Amino acid sequence: MLKEFQTFGRDLFLAGLNSSHSGNLSVRCGDRVVITRRGAMLGHLMERDIIETGLHKNDGNIVLASTEIRVHRAIYKETAALAIVHAHPVHAIALSLLEEEIIPLDSEGAYLLHKIPVLSAEHTIGSQELEEKLPGLLKEYKIVMVRGHGSFATGQLLEEAYQWTSSLENICRIIHITRTLKGALKDKRPAEYKEW
Amino acid sequence: MGFGGWFGKMLRVNLSTGVITEKKIEEKVLSDWIGGRGLGAWTIAGEVPADCDPLGEENKLVFATGPLTGAGVPGAGRFCTSAKSPLTGTILDTDAGGRWGVRLKKSGYDILIIEGASSEPVYLTISEGKASLHEAAKLWGAGVYETNDRLKDILGHDTSVACIGPAGENLVKFASMINDGHYTGRGGLGAVMGAKKLKAVTTQGSRKVEIANKEKLDFMLYEAGKWLKANPITSQGLPEFGTPVLVSLFNELGVFPTRNFQGSQYPGVANISGETIAELMTTGRKSCYGCPVQCARLLKTKTGTILGPEYESIWALGPECGIGDLDTIVEANHLCNQLGLDAVSTGVTIGCAMELAEKGIFNTGLSFGDTTGLLQAIKQIAYREGSGNLLAEGSRRLAERCGSGQYAMQVKGLELTAYDPRGLQGMGLGLATSNQGGCRLPAYMAGPETLGVPKMVDRFSTRGKAGLTINQQNISAAVDSLIACGFVNLAVSEEYFARILSAVTGVDYQTQDLHRTGERIWNLERLYNLRAGFDRSCDTLPPRLLEEPIQEGPSSGKVVELKPMLEEYYRFRGWNESGVPAPEKLRELRLEDFKC
Repeated sequence: MLKEFQTFGRDLFLAGLNSSHSGNLSVRCGDRVVITRRGAMLGHLMERDIIETGLHKNDGNIVLASTEIRVHRAIYKETAALAIVHAHPVHAIALSLLEEEIIPLDSEGAYLLHKIPVLSAEHTIGSQELEEKLPGLLKEYKIVMVRGHGSFATGQLLEEAYQWTSSLENICRIIHITRTLKGALKDKRPAEYKEW
Repeated sequence: MGFGGWFGKMLRVNLSTGVITEKKIEEKVLSDWIGGRGLGAWTIAGEVPADCDPLGEENKLVFATGPLTGAGVPGAGRFCTSAKSPLTGTILDTDAGGRWGVRLKKSGYDILIIEGASSEPVYLTISEGKASLHEAAKLWGAGVYETNDRLKDILGHDTSVACIGPAGENLVKFASMINDGHYTGRGGLGAVMGAKKLKAVTTQGSRKVEIANKEKLDFMLYEAGKWLKANPITSQGLPEFGTPVLVSLFNELGVFPTRNFQGSQYPGVANISGETIAELMTTGRKSCYGCPVQCARLLKTKTGTILGPEYESIWALGPECGIGDLDTIVEANHLCNQLGLDAVSTGVTIGCAMELAEKGIFNTGLSFGDTTGLLQAIKQIAYREGSGNLLAEGSRRLAERCGSGQYAMQVKGLELTAYDPRGLQGMGLGLATSNQGGCRLPAYMAGPETLGVPKMVDRFSTRGKAGLTINQQNISAAVDSLIACGFVNLAVSEEYFARILSAVTGVDYQTQDLHRTGERIWNLERLYNLRAGFDRSCDTLPPRLLEEPIQEGPSSGKVVELKPMLEEYYRFRGWNESGVPAPEKLRELRLEDFKC
């Protein structure tokens, strides 16, 4: 399991989807959650950075768990997710400050994600507000942006949740570039995904 | 936007009294259980005593369509049949394609319940909202294809016929029912029909299935169609080769069982592969209602054009019995269809008899590789002649009567399918915990373990397999309730199905709602089985798969490491150590009324 955490933690950092100490990963194993340590560097995860605790109950390890543990737990309790990736992709964060939802312009992004909701919250880090609001959106969408904060993606496997995170950032970079180019879009189809 | 997808009507036929009634189905029941497998489980758990004789009058046959049946959704022209299985004693469902389910639905019914038993052979016709029983003495004894042709001559060729053959009449425990060339194969539901003296049920209908939001449905079908066309499984592999495309693939991985699971690779596989069949015998393709995949094959043989064997049938009637002659396999499969036998259980039971003979335990005259013996045994089973009478009880009863139960390759009495779980750990857990026994369909773990759906995982690892298996089981139960084809589900994920279901019905379903509905169905089936006497000790695999490592090939040295996966599985499910759902889980799923 450590190897898997290291692979995706490293890739998230190298792809610029997290800064040196941001983001967290977890997987669900029955009634247990395995999550990265609070303040861990995802690009350099070691055994001591992988923390196991209860899904429903706390134990001593809770003091080491990621700040977002309560949000991860809430998502696992209310969805069929088996893995969660929380990241801070810069283009997606920037776009979330401007938009109510993110609609991909590119075909790969549209095939995979169709639409990414943006959730606005007063307290965005490890908050009860996110614990209450995020799982509902993740029942329907694979990935959700928390405005100005970052993304939460779910999957059956870490690889899946990582893929949605990576796709989201690509989608947002393409939106950013097309807006910079200032031309009129030739493809009108993306507007249809507002209904997704 | 209105309420679509369902007619909200149930047809109930009591064969003991001949009384036929119609009843409205509450909207809450439909939205909670959706259709197909869900409505079947709800009916069986509510109406059929768990301790009843599956071949007695108390057992019921439930034919259920889903809200997507007949709604023009690719791969959704299906129906599901449920009952207490005479082979396993568990609740069991099996779904089939073709046109029969669409015609039942278009006749105005979501669900048909057959109860009681007739004293004389009968067949039931359902046409445009009218049902009636007819005397069937002249059809009794006829094979499946003859029955189909004779009834179509009487009723018209816009009729679909679901019927049994001699095997069902003779109460063979793994007798099948066949409609439009598609099989309700597993678990002996054909024998339940035979016990009720019901030779056939025909359907005919032209009513329109209402769609709540046509614009949204068209959009979703356009989107889902992109994946069906893009994914090589549904756009190339299955259309070109049918399910036999899997023969070479699984053989190469060393998970293609041979000689009653004594081996896991077949040396002569090139002679029976999907590629070979396509090159030498295939003359055409056939599809279910409205399905672009068209995975059924028409083969040219010496005796004419016939439906080709599926992956599982090629294996069961071939390498599982040590046989690699394609003509024999095709002929044996045709014979099983004609006589109304589940080809998988037939092959595995004969394979078991071959090993018992090889070991000198019980000599039926059968031996591995005996092509003539295979064909003869199939006929003897269907007519319960000679040793066929014992084989007709299935591999578990056969082996147990010889004091050698360990040689029966079954789970909960249902013969295993064409995957050696020693090289697919998650598949092993899925089979051991399946509510209906050794069927791979309730949790197709070969998806993540071999096909990379949704992502490729280490097939030899047990880590994380409990959660993946549970999600597969839950979502399969939901998809079987829509009812959509499992093959389509390999290319189109559940988020599409949730949106398609919402568009058709007008009820708002999220992806997570499908998981939750599937979980409710799975737990209800579990409760029924617990009532029927199936406890934790039944969540296991044949000793060979747990103790005897695969001898050679890419999976060599492997056994199924079931215990740790099973413990995690129970905790994940919210069940206690005995495998009983905890009271809080039942409350959460609104199943408190169904006590075990």
